[in-house]
Amino acid sequence: MLGSLAWLGAHQEEINRLNVFPVPDGDTGTNMLLTLQSAVEDIRESPATEVSKIARIAAHGSLMGARGNSGVILSQIFRGFASAVQDKAELNPVELAQAFEEAANAAYRAVSKPTEGTILTVARQAGRSAAGAAQQPGANSVSVMKAAASGARSAVERTPSQLKILRDAGVVDAGGYGLQIMLEGMLRSVEEVEDELSKRGPARPAAQATLDLPEEGWGYCTEFLIEGEDLDVDGIRDEIESLGNSVLVVGDAELVKVHVHTDDPSRVITLAARYGRLDRLNVGDMSSQHRRIRDEGDAAEAPEPAEPAELRSNGVGLVAVVAGPGLVEIFRGLGVDEIVEGGQTMNPSTQDMLLAVERLPYDHVLLLPNNKNVVLAASQVGDLTGKSLEVLPTHTMPQGIAAVVAFHPERSLEENAAAMREAAEHVQTIEVTHAVRATRSNGLNVHKGDVIALINDRLEHSGTEYDAVVGAALSGIGAADYELVTIYRGQQATDSQAERLSDSIRGNFPDLEVEVQSGGQEHYPFILSVE
Amino acid sequence: MAGFRVVTDSTADVPAEWCERLGIEVVPLRVLFGTESFRDRVDLTTGQFFERLRQSDRLPTTSAPSPGDFATVYERLSHECEGVVSIHISGELSGTAEAARVGAASVEGFPVHVIDSRCLTICLAYLCRTAAESSSLEAAVRRVEERVPRQRILALLDTLRYLEMGGRIGRAQALLGTVLDVKPILSLADGKVVPLDRVRTRAKAITRLIERLHQDLPVERLAVMHAQAPEDAERIRARLAADLPDVEVEVGEIGAVLGTHVGPGAIGVAYIRR
Repeated sequence: MLGSLAWLGAHQEEINRLNVFPVPDGDTGTNMLLTLQSAVEDIRESPATEVSKIARIAAHGSLMGARGNSGVILSQIFRGFASAVQDKAELNPVELAQAFEEAANAAYRAVSKPTEGTILTVARQAGRSAAGAAQQPGANSVSVMKAAASGARSAVERTPSQLKILRDAGVVDAGGYGLQIMLEGMLRSVEEVEDELSKRGPARPAAQATLDLPEEGWGYCTEFLIEGEDLDVDGIRDEIESLGNSVLVVGDAELVKVHVHTDDPSRVITLAARYGRLDRLNVGDMSSQHRRIRDEGDAAEAPEPAEPAELRSNGVGLVAVVAGPGLVEIFRGLGVDEIVEGGQTMNPSTQDMLLAVERLPYDHVLLLPNNKNVVLAASQVGDLTGKSLEVLPTHTMPQGIAAVVAFHPERSLEENAAAMREAAEHVQTIEVTHAVRATRSNGLNVHKGDVIALINDRLEHSGTEYDAVVGAALSGIGAADYELVTIYRGQQATDSQAERLSDSIRGNFPDLEVEVQSGGQEHYPFILSVE
Repeated sequence: MAGFRVVTDSTADVPAEWCERLGIEVVPLRVLFGTESFRDRVDLTTGQFFERLRQSDRLPTTSAPSPGDFATVYERLSHECEGVVSIHISGELSGTAEAARVGAASVEGFPVHVIDSRCLTICLAYLCRTAAESSSLEAAVRRVEERVPRQRILALLDTLRYLEMGGRIGRAQALLGTVLDVKPILSLADGKVVPLDRVRTRAKAITRLIERLHQDLPVERLAVMHAQAPEDAERIRARLAADLPDVEVEVGEIGAVLGTHVGPGAIGVAYIRR
């Protein structure tokens, strides 16, 4: 497991770059890494040595830490593996191969519409190859793992032939590649153990060498974002690496995410603050996982929430996943009780959402993921909470806002869920951003840096100016038949750009009412809702 | 002079023609812009009121007539008829009915029957008309009291701001959005404002309003009331006229007092169920 983690960590950015959409949500690698990390942390805390127990802990840990769709599927792979190895202290080659196969089966079952050419296909091929190898004379666990890794590799290479979007973008599937890397990492550490065994008899666990863990433990899990200009990602990583381990430093010149386990969080923070503004600071004492220390504004809603003056008579609480200070305020203003920060490039984990659901003083909870990459992780929360939970499949912020507007504080969970679902379906979302790389998609030839518009998650228009691209998108959805356009201005857009955009919309669609709100979201200069 | 007369207040939005034909007396509430006080529909027409509201940087306030205002009217009527049915805006929203009761007590030996309509605007006017068309004071009281629980107003507000600042928001508080303006749909039934829904566009609100009305069919009387929104009112009237060929759908304008609390752009359907 540790071998997988280290190897995945080393390849995470490469995996991120494989994302097919030219929108800045290429974080499959990060999501898989954080999910795996959650599993590994739990295993480290347990004294268990039996395969069955470790597998069970990995399944639980990865589920709690699951982020993004790839993370959720990964957690189901662990779950399948764990169920196959129940009651076993050790595995023979055949059992190991069977566990790989069952892992793939569980992943297929977890997805409502399995798509070939993804991590699912890769998991299944790994399982099949492992099963083939286990039948060979002289099979051992290394030969089975080797077969699984090579099966994964060849499956990954075939993914572009199975999925058109991969072919168009000229990449292999990111999630599948992530799984391949994990299997290879696992194989590497097992081979190292074999190596060491053959060299000098009894050895310490190989992964220890790979990850270079300190004897005294993991200290504080410290996470934050650095916002600035011309950030030197590699330079920051080098400096942080000297202060802790499990270091994860990813991002670009404007925004860097840092994750490190350190015994001295304040030194890490002081160091990072030299590079730019820190945001979303989160320091967790790893010996008491749930305790969180948060900076500034969030302190008020820390673990013990102030008792609301009056509880809603229907006993229904609202949790929403939201990013951007303006949007957070809008959701709160409409009555959302708990905000889980996250969204586009920062998918919250199942556990983040679970904790928010549990914190509410209500037994019935509506959860709004507000991003299509969060929906699956959100849907796992239902199995983990004792509360009755409805997850509304909102894919965008405008859908979430439309749903919350329809919330009625005197109606039941079911009535609200039905009305909110319907409201979310009737709003059209246009997300405007810049292509992070060139691509051909949906008949469009997009250059890096182009303004692109996604209509309800689909890349539909591109160009060089906001006004023109948004105008085309509005015409595309037949905006003249609608009434109201709300522009949520993101961090990257200025007031005058927002004003120019709204003037241009009014000019093209004189009957539409146009409203500008400060959303403060990252990555999307503009998000528009049309209703 | 024999017979009885009907008294109401200016929140009833009684059409002028009914007042003349049926002898309905209207006691005005007051609208105050700062220190300037106007008698509703006497010193200030509805059109003038909304014009002033637009120009004023402060919201006006409203106040009930004084018991003395009522006493003056009852005293005059005591020389013209044998008794009065005095029907007023919901006691949950205004002290008008209470002022009428106190005023009535000061006119000795003259029967004044004060009824809290639990409603306002055209519903209240309908009750007045029903009363005025009754054969006796007793019949009028009976017929009005029978209709009080059958009235409902469904209203769409352009914003909750006016209701909030006027202090009448009540349970509709829960619909308030602090950053994003939402359009609330409210119901007034049995004297109280109840939140029904909130939406972001007028088209959706109007559709929701009509859907909700359909649950209360059949209706005896029905009107579309608006504050400075004649086009939307006509649109709703046309849709209702098509849906309900047997009912005459009237259109009327909301007066200054209610206008102060719901704001321009408010629109509603007011009806008495059969």
